[in-house]
Amino acid sequence: MGQIVGVFATAHSPGLTGFPERTDAAQRERVMAAFHDVRQRLVALEPDAVVAVSVEHFTNFSLANLPAFAIGTAPDYLGPVTPEMGEFLNITQRRYPGAAALGEHLYRFAIESEFDPALVSGDLDFDENFCVPLELLDPGGRLPLVPIIVNGVNHPGPTVRRCLAFGRMIRAAVEAQRDSSRVVVLGTGGLSHWVGMREAGRINEAFDRDFLRRMQSDDPTELVAYRQDEIDVAGNGADEIRAWIIAAGAAGTGFDTLAYEPTPAWLTGTAVAAARVGKTD
Amino acid sequence: MYTVQKLLWDIRRNPMLAQRFHDDPDAVVDDYGITGDERDAMRTLDLGRLYEAGVNPYLLYFCALQLGVPRQEYYERIRGER
Repeated sequence: MGQIVGVFATAHSPGLTGFPERTDAAQRERVMAAFHDVRQRLVALEPDAVVAVSVEHFTNFSLANLPAFAIGTAPDYLGPVTPEMGEFLNITQRRYPGAAALGEHLYRFAIESEFDPALVSGDLDFDENFCVPLELLDPGGRLPLVPIIVNGVNHPGPTVRRCLAFGRMIRAAVEAQRDSSRVVVLGTGGLSHWVGMREAGRINEAFDRDFLRRMQSDDPTELVAYRQDEIDVAGNGADEIRAWIIAAGAAGTGFDTLAYEPTPAWLTGTAVAAARVGKTD
Repeated sequence: MYTVQKLLWDIRRNPMLAQRFHDDPDAVVDDYGITGDERDAMRTLDLGRLYEAGVNPYLLYFCALQLGVPRQEYYERIRGER
């Protein structure tokens, strides 16, 4: 049966690929070393598919239809959505392969598990959400993907408790199928940042470090204790911690922080973390 | 408020609409049926007022970029610095 062989969570700040040079060289090197570490682990894990979890920044969805959760089941995905965004991110526009069978299974399993995600069986374009981390982790764009979108761009998003449960459901779904025997889960976004808001460029380092501390624990009690107002102090971009918490649910273990740097020039608290999946004490 | 945010999203998604808005904002806001204070704020692209009115910052920011407002200027305008 399928198993989750690795779970990672990373930032997806456009600065990582679009304007890396603007950040302090030592900070940049530590962040890039962590991405390189994850990239090597990904190669070693030889996954059949990657379940990639993030928000999407009104690239596909709008206030006319804004799912709390959505699961992609397409055979491929366009990203970055426009050539202009490609230029901004310094990423060549391409089609990323989809793990369609696993996506369809995840969607069906979610419904049968009494979650109610939106089905997106085509035309789900990527923005920085997946293009930026994948450029650093799978630059050839070879890994077949199941994109999962959580609403982190317009309040109210799903509760963090629901996000953890959704992640646990992903794990159960992977273990209930045979098409993809080795699956990696990748959550992207965060940490503190303000997009389109007056506070843009500010970093809430205390929030970020406390969040990473909660992610480190094998016990998710503190991770799902956030009220919305406790997330809001780290900006509208901090709503993307939902993607990390879904990843934590899928992992069922705590995470090691591979890098954390407050990087105002990239407009985010930039973090990279790996779950202690498959490690025995 | 929905209609204003719909227009912000549509402008970002549709370069032809962005061009039309650039050339003749009054015609576009009228097509969308936007009236009153919202009409005035939108037709003049008064970013500070739209921000204050509570439109989603992602929608406002991306629409402004699509209309050629530089990032730095966007932030200066919502902060009332210009």
